[in-house]
Amino acid sequence: MADSGVAQIESADAVIGLVPPASRDSQAVENTIARIVGTEVPLRIALIHPPLSPNHTEFLKAGSQWHLIASPRLAQDPPSLAQSLGDSFRATFEMAQRLNSRACAVVASDLSATTVDWVTLLLQPVIDDRFDLVAPCYARHPFEGMINRAIVYPLVRALYGKQIRNPMGPDFGMSSRLLLQIAGSSRPRMHTLPSLAAEAITNGMELCQSQLGPRIYAVPDFTNLGSLLAQLLGPLFLDVERYAAHWQHARGSQPIREFGQPMYVEAPESTMDVSRLMESFQLGARNLQDVWSMILPPSTLVELRRMVRNGAAQFRMPDATWVHVVYDFALAHRLRTISRDQMLRALTPIYLGWVASYALELEHASPEAAEQRLEKLCVVYEETKPYFVSRWRWPDRFNP
Amino acid sequence: MWEQVGQTLNQSTVGVLSRLASLLPGLLALLVAVLFSAALAWLIGIVLRRVLHGIRFDERLESWGVTGLAEYSPQQSPALLLTRVAAWSIVLAGLVLGLGAFEATLTSELTVRMFEYLPNLAAAIVVLIAGSLVARYLARSVLIESVNMNLQYARLLSLGVKWLVMVCAIAMALDDLQIGGGIVHLAFGILFGGIVLALALAVGLGSKELVCRSLERESSRAPADVEEPIRHI
Repeated sequence: MADSGVAQIESADAVIGLVPPASRDSQAVENTIARIVGTEVPLRIALIHPPLSPNHTEFLKAGSQWHLIASPRLAQDPPSLAQSLGDSFRATFEMAQRLNSRACAVVASDLSATTVDWVTLLLQPVIDDRFDLVAPCYARHPFEGMINRAIVYPLVRALYGKQIRNPMGPDFGMSSRLLLQIAGSSRPRMHTLPSLAAEAITNGMELCQSQLGPRIYAVPDFTNLGSLLAQLLGPLFLDVERYAAHWQHARGSQPIREFGQPMYVEAPESTMDVSRLMESFQLGARNLQDVWSMILPPSTLVELRRMVRNGAAQFRMPDATWVHVVYDFALAHRLRTISRDQMLRALTPIYLGWVASYALELEHASPEAAEQRLEKLCVVYEETKPYFVSRWRWPDRFNP
Repeated sequence: MWEQVGQTLNQSTVGVLSRLASLLPGLLALLVAVLFSAALAWLIGIVLRRVLHGIRFDERLESWGVTGLAEYSPQQSPALLLTRVAAWSIVLAGLVLGLGAFEATLTSELTVRMFEYLPNLAAAIVVLIAGSLVARYLARSVLIESVNMNLQYARLLSLGVKWLVMVCAIAMALDDLQIGGGIVHLAFGILFGGIVLALALAVGLGSKELVCRSLERESSRAPADVEEPIRHI
């Protein structure tokens, strides 16, 4: 199906892509569009959105600088989230290039939280301050975005040396320079989303992040956590392999410029029930030793077995153990020790073990304490990086 | 009488020698064909490997999204796999060519039947190897998924799947080898059905309490649409 509305516009200063989650109906999308285009802007902006219902109300006022383009390529498909988001990003990039835009933004979070301020915060640093990539920062909740807290943010920070809070967005602002870089890259991008930050950093582009406020999350399907981990970490580990020449030379990490004020959300008052998480970890430790032993060195396996013997109250997974596990899985992904999909799914019980340990440690903690805890984890990632570099360079070397 | 014995022995020796002599060109042709094809395979292998490395075949394949092939390749390199497949195909073609020349002089029916049986043997070996690989892969997948779904009997399920596939592969291999005939079909049916029944009984009856506990735990937990304090994304 062709994009409708594109014929009425030849160029635009900026392009915005709205990629609603599957749980959102067209009414929610229409409300969001009405909310965004109701604000007058000094620039010509093209807003790309999924096709609307035939009887939707007219949004645009006469003389408005907004242009609406409906594209069926903008959608999120939960079973293949990373793939569908990548396709939506590509559709927005292509439109931005076709309209010779200076800036481009994609909003893929739940649209009920999206305001025109989000769009401004994602586009303004690109247009006014000539940044190439604007990453999002959401209101900080100690127990939200755990995959990002446990793996994605600390790993990207330790490897590439930039403190990007949400390297996988999913809401981004981009310059035409970055779009050109992605389009002209000799290596085709199957997974656009995780590659954006890595592509920008490794090409020496300017990065910043904007505080977008609270983000609404869809309720995750607990039984599909393995699949979710595989979808998120697969492309991330592919990038680790792709940019190995760059990250092996990066040392420490630097903060990047932030727009807006950080916001914090208090953790729930109720006592945290981590029994389910611990059970998953213990079940994994009992049954997946054969699989883990193909990925992890003996010392880590011994450490994991020791944790199983600890009672619920004393259960703690040291950061050093967890970070070694993540690095060893990233290496096994490169070496293809076993099927990559199986390997990433086999990480789930250990990840849940770390989450249980983190939750027990931060029960009733303030948001500031949670931030300090995250910073401590990031430092361990950075301090353990030489181990990863060494294993990456000499994977066959004896590793007790 | 001695003269007749001597004559018979003489005729027999001449017969055996002449039969051997008639086999010699075929043997020689087989040897030459195998040696020539091996040399050709070695040469083509080198050239192909250099060409594939030159065009960065492995990286291109990965960028096209074909990543599964590498998992089954030696040293995780599809280029090496392709090179080896090409080289061994040439050696095999040489062997078949040589056997063709050999066959013309082949007189022993037993030998002919043995050679006729070779494809069945090769097919059975391939089926067994493929079956074992598939069984291992599926067993591991089931084990990981079952653990991720918090199923207490994950190992039992994984073992069941592994043996279902292995029994199926062994039955197919025996069928290819034409060993057992109807007995194999019957035994396969009984064994396959037996494993399924055993699994059903083990999960349904033997692990009744385990399943009850598991289900009780599930039902006592908060339903999926109730917000959990920990969110993974």
